[in-house]
Amino acid sequence: MSVAAPAQALAPNPLREGLEQERVPDASCLVIFGASGDLTSRKLLPALYSLAHDGLLPAGQTIVGFARPDYTDDAFRMAMREACDKYARTRPVDAAVWDNFAKGLFYVQGDFAEPSAYFRLNQKLQECDRTRGTGGRRIYYLAVPPQFFPVISELLGAEKMVTDPERGGPFTRVIIEKPFGHDLQSAKELNRVAVTTFRERQVFRIDHYLGKETVQNLLVLRFANGIFEPFWNRQYIDHVQLAVAESIGVEKRGGYFETAGIARDIVQNHLLQLVSLVAMEPPVAFEADPVRDEKVKVLRALREFPTGHETECTVRGQYTDGSVLGEKAIAYRKEPNVSPESKTETYAAMKVFIDNWRWAGVPFYIRAGKRLPKRVTDISIHFRPAPYPMWRKLRGVTTQPNVLAIRIQPDEGISLKFDSKVPGPSVRTAPVTMEFRYATSFGAEPPEAYERLLLETMLGDSTLFARRDEVETAWSWLDPLLAAWAADLRPPDFYAAGTWGPESADQLIERDGRKWRRP
Amino acid sequence: MSNSALEADVRVDPRAIENRLAELWRNNKEAGDDALTRAALWNVVAHTSSTELHTEASGVLGRASATVPQRAIIVRAMPAAEPEIACWISANCHLVGAGKQICSEEIAIVAGGDRIHRVPPLVNALLIPDMPVAVWWLGDLPNEHEDYVLSLLEPADRLIVDSVHFDSPADLLLVNRVAEKTTTTPADLNWIRLEEWRTATAAIFDPPDMRSRLNSIRRLRVVAATSDTELFGESVEALLYAAWISAQVGHDVDAHGKVEGVLGSIDYAIERRRQENGAGGIIHAEIQFDDGSSASIARDRDRGILAANVDGVISMPEAITRAVLQRPDELIVRQLKQAKGDQVLLKVLPIASRLAKRMER
Repeated sequence: MSVAAPAQALAPNPLREGLEQERVPDASCLVIFGASGDLTSRKLLPALYSLAHDGLLPAGQTIVGFARPDYTDDAFRMAMREACDKYARTRPVDAAVWDNFAKGLFYVQGDFAEPSAYFRLNQKLQECDRTRGTGGRRIYYLAVPPQFFPVISELLGAEKMVTDPERGGPFTRVIIEKPFGHDLQSAKELNRVAVTTFRERQVFRIDHYLGKETVQNLLVLRFANGIFEPFWNRQYIDHVQLAVAESIGVEKRGGYFETAGIARDIVQNHLLQLVSLVAMEPPVAFEADPVRDEKVKVLRALREFPTGHETECTVRGQYTDGSVLGEKAIAYRKEPNVSPESKTETYAAMKVFIDNWRWAGVPFYIRAGKRLPKRVTDISIHFRPAPYPMWRKLRGVTTQPNVLAIRIQPDEGISLKFDSKVPGPSVRTAPVTMEFRYATSFGAEPPEAYERLLLETMLGDSTLFARRDEVETAWSWLDPLLAAWAADLRPPDFYAAGTWGPESADQLIERDGRKWRRP
Repeated sequence: MSNSALEADVRVDPRAIENRLAELWRNNKEAGDDALTRAALWNVVAHTSSTELHTEASGVLGRASATVPQRAIIVRAMPAAEPEIACWISANCHLVGAGKQICSEEIAIVAGGDRIHRVPPLVNALLIPDMPVAVWWLGDLPNEHEDYVLSLLEPADRLIVDSVHFDSPADLLLVNRVAEKTTTTPADLNWIRLEEWRTATAAIFDPPDMRSRLNSIRRLRVVAATSDTELFGESVEALLYAAWISAQVGHDVDAHGKVEGVLGSIDYAIERRRQENGAGGIIHAEIQFDDGSSASIARDRDRGILAANVDGVISMPEAITRAVLQRPDELIVRQLKQAKGDQVLLKVLPIASRLAKRMER
């Protein structure tokens, strides 16, 4: 069998040099499986429209919704217009941009397991190739629960709707949403299924945290500035804290959350992604594999939880009745589709070590929870105190360690806390904060994470996506803890909704003479 | 909501400007207004030569400071006025949510007669250290007083002009000389306006099958909207557009404005059309290819878009680019948000001045 040579790379468009949109992808057909779902209307279509609004989509870009409900193209367009009116970053919707965008919006009705639906879908895509210049390029977005992934990928393969990048020709890419499995075994199975139809480099595993500007800015902060990296190690850093707090409860997702819990929902993906970005070594280039190679090294260096003593360095909590932001909040066990005796954790705190040269002995305290006082994601680097307390004999001088805080959301920014002399004849000190806020310095609202990630997929850049080994390494670290928690017959530690978690979480860090930072 | 105590103009002795500014903030802090933050990312020096332009600069920079906080120094230099120098200070405050305000400083320097030569050193003393400096020159560039321009530019990282006000190709050459002879990088608000046209044109050549056709351009026609005044500046956007195509595609433009490409001589037609609205902007651009087909871009004012179409052998869906009328403060903000000067503009400026020769014929 002869193998065609890969297509020669096309020279970049010289007219794009210096333009705000320097990179514009080639037009493709983006097929959204699960187009009638919440993710499509709240995030995907509004993000795609905003990209069109900002001139970042190529002429001819086509979006095909695929789902079970029976819509016409026009009905789908109308529903998506309403979604954009509600959720797009660039509102109000610009009539001219929408008209043009909507011309590339189509719908195919079908069941995910129905082979003839894929035939119809393929016909539609081929028609778009002829009329819209999409040239056989395909992106399949699986906005569906993971159990549908095997059948969709199998039927795409059976209908010959997937090209092999090794053989050249137009690209095919697939985007999958978390959860990437339920544990190591299911993640491996999901990945095995993926590579029966797609090659690893065609698979884009979306973790929307990686699309956030501030998360990307972590790398810029660390590696584009000369002043931070020399201090970014065990010699100068006392400990690191990471917090992902949500003020909302499980909302309509009680059924899903019962099987997941916060560790699977947040820690395994978002929090470990943040840990790896904070702790990684400088990559040789800001490119997909060098960046992900360094991230996965951090995950491999995570110290295993001591067998039989897992609960000594972890806390699992669950919210009870309380109030959040002035509103009454019911206990997790009273939420719809939640067992009244549920042991599922809605809060997790852990003390984690990264066993490598840079971080040996530096604890990373991580916590995530629902129904906490506010929605905030925050990373704080706590530096060691000055080596010699030369002011110790003076009253009014209490020095505090420096803290570099990186606010991921909301009100994105970076602050540095340090001590300063209070003006006056005597020596008194007070902590002051030097702040950088995105909103103040750059004015404009940053693009939504999904905008960035969809664009990167169209451009074929997987730097901001999780690679197979990252996902599996994260699961292999977390699995023993999940098993230990599952075997523990005690209920989780309760905390009232609207507080910062159970008391045991405070004790976890206070045992080490430290305190949680109030984010 | 604004902070009227801070925003009021206060006349100050030029030697005491920094002290008075510090006092202003201190008084405000003592009044217990912790919801106020003083911020600056740039020093922006606006050079004006009349009361009208001074008022315009103050308004534009006041609005721009909501997005890019800055110390604004507005100079009004009037050689024909009485020989004196006077200064005022005030602040531009903007709500940023949760009752918090961000405030930027504005310093006005009004100089007349021979005192205008004292302005550059005074401006130098008022610049915030470690922050970039942009000089925004309002109105026509006085290419007959190049030394004065260069002395003001001495500390500047960027010179911002608006070539729509230029009265001759010599102004383009002066900007080009600034780029060649100094460390100041020129920037042009007209070039920012042109971005929508550049984006629309680039979009035509994004599809892989269109890319090779850049080498088969035989004719370029750009139509500029002009008013009754026939001011040279009204054609500059069209000139920059043509020069940009030539620079990026690799066409050679000789000293007389003749254009050559790989297929031989290429016809660059820059036309002027009188129009009541939108003088200075481009109305229409058309690129003709060797096979007789063409691509065109036109402004659709009603829909607020530029629409591009390719006819002939290859067709593609209509590509649109949002064409919103950009206010001067938005153009200034776009400029200040660019960390570095625009290297493409530097390539384009000398070509535009050579292409201007075609218009003189």
